[in-house]
Amino acid sequence: MPELPDWFRPVAEYMLREGLPETLKLAALAVTASTVIGIVLGTLLTIHFLPLQSLIRLYIEVWRGLPILVTILFIYWLPAYDVGPLHIQLNAYMSAALGLSLWGSAQVAEATRGAVQSIPKEQHEAAAALGFGWAGRHRFVIVPQALRRLLPPMVGLLVNIIQNTTIAFVIGINEFLQAGNRQFENLTTQTGNGHPFTIFGFVLVVFFIISFPLTLFARYLERRLV
Amino acid sequence: MKILAAFEWSFIWDNRVELWEGFKNTMKVSAIGVAGAFVIGLVLGAVRAHRIPVFSQLAWVYVEAIRNTPILVQIFLFYYGLPQLGYQVEGFTVAWLAVMVWGGAFNTENFRAGFEAVPKHFREAGYALGFSPLKTFLNVTLPIGGRIALPSSINTYISVLKNTSLMLAIGYPELTTVAFNIQAITFRTFEMFAVLAVVYLVIVWTLSALIRLLEARLALPETR
Repeated sequence: MPELPDWFRPVAEYMLREGLPETLKLAALAVTASTVIGIVLGTLLTIHFLPLQSLIRLYIEVWRGLPILVTILFIYWLPAYDVGPLHIQLNAYMSAALGLSLWGSAQVAEATRGAVQSIPKEQHEAAAALGFGWAGRHRFVIVPQALRRLLPPMVGLLVNIIQNTTIAFVIGINEFLQAGNRQFENLTTQTGNGHPFTIFGFVLVVFFIISFPLTLFARYLERRLV
Repeated sequence: MKILAAFEWSFIWDNRVELWEGFKNTMKVSAIGVAGAFVIGLVLGAVRAHRIPVFSQLAWVYVEAIRNTPILVQIFLFYYGLPQLGYQVEGFTVAWLAVMVWGGAFNTENFRAGFEAVPKHFREAGYALGFSPLKTFLNVTLPIGGRIALPSSINTYISVLKNTSLMLAIGYPELTTVAFNIQAITFRTFEMFAVLAVVYLVIVWTLSALIRLLEARLALPETR
């Protein structure tokens, strides 16, 4: 087995210590927000009330239709503004988290709608017969069953969001790709050779090691639960 | 309401030349990417579906490697890594190559699923009629499986188009990069975002509508 070159160790340590936690934190934040917002919107989308449906549809189609990069850039570009006493200015980190969450929640909302509508209508009727109102019916009967069908696409979403956190690179967040890029630039100025193939190859391999087991897990869930 | 009052349509018009160039670059890169992804998907999808030894396993490695890593990292690897291996590449080459390789991996899965959805006895009927395996594929599996794969493959083409915006990271002047550069020196955030939003949403929504239309039109007779 070939020895690792001397320069590689500090580079990899920096990337794993500084960059990777940032990537995982951003992904965790975005996945949590996407899940909560998406499940609420997706459930509401099954109510037959046209103004509400159109509004949620618009939300889904806009944030799914735009490249995430464009959404994140727009949020980041927004000038500071005041809402009553609040002075709102999103920093780069919040812009990236919000941009990823808008996209992710649109995906979850669409998946939730499908999952909720796949529950047979007898379930609604039986719950109604037991005296549940709309909220209770969904809270206790429909959504818990729908969540089961939602699980595989949710793991898929997690994989997608982890990968898409790299887009935060463009607004300067020190996530894993950015950390690698900074090391690449440092090495280039210091030694003249930035070893881009090794460094970005390393970024690729680490993302693969995180994503591939999750992808296999999503496929396993799909076979088991659906 | 200050925002709306400050919105100047003329600003977009004043920058129409640059924006149009950016749009053309976006379309050029997307077109090459989609065409390449179509060919890769068709060939490797067939290889995967027919489990052709060695090639099928290689195609599997390619598909999993691309689908489980961020495309932005792939772009960096092409842009900075290829010159290190002795291939001088420019932004345009990296742009179409990256979206093509990415789209090809997703399309391989689309076509594999489509071809595998063709019932086995259809293929057996082809053999019984004396068709060679290749003829059977071209006359039976491809027309039927291709129809099944079409909607999901268009979804992949939509993603290919959206992913061209990532070329901002390597400074290739497609639409997003152009708009970004204009807003960086003028701070015309809303005007530039309006351009990006309208262009991307119009294309994406049109293609999505096309998918729904095709799904209805191309559905196999027995599922209608």
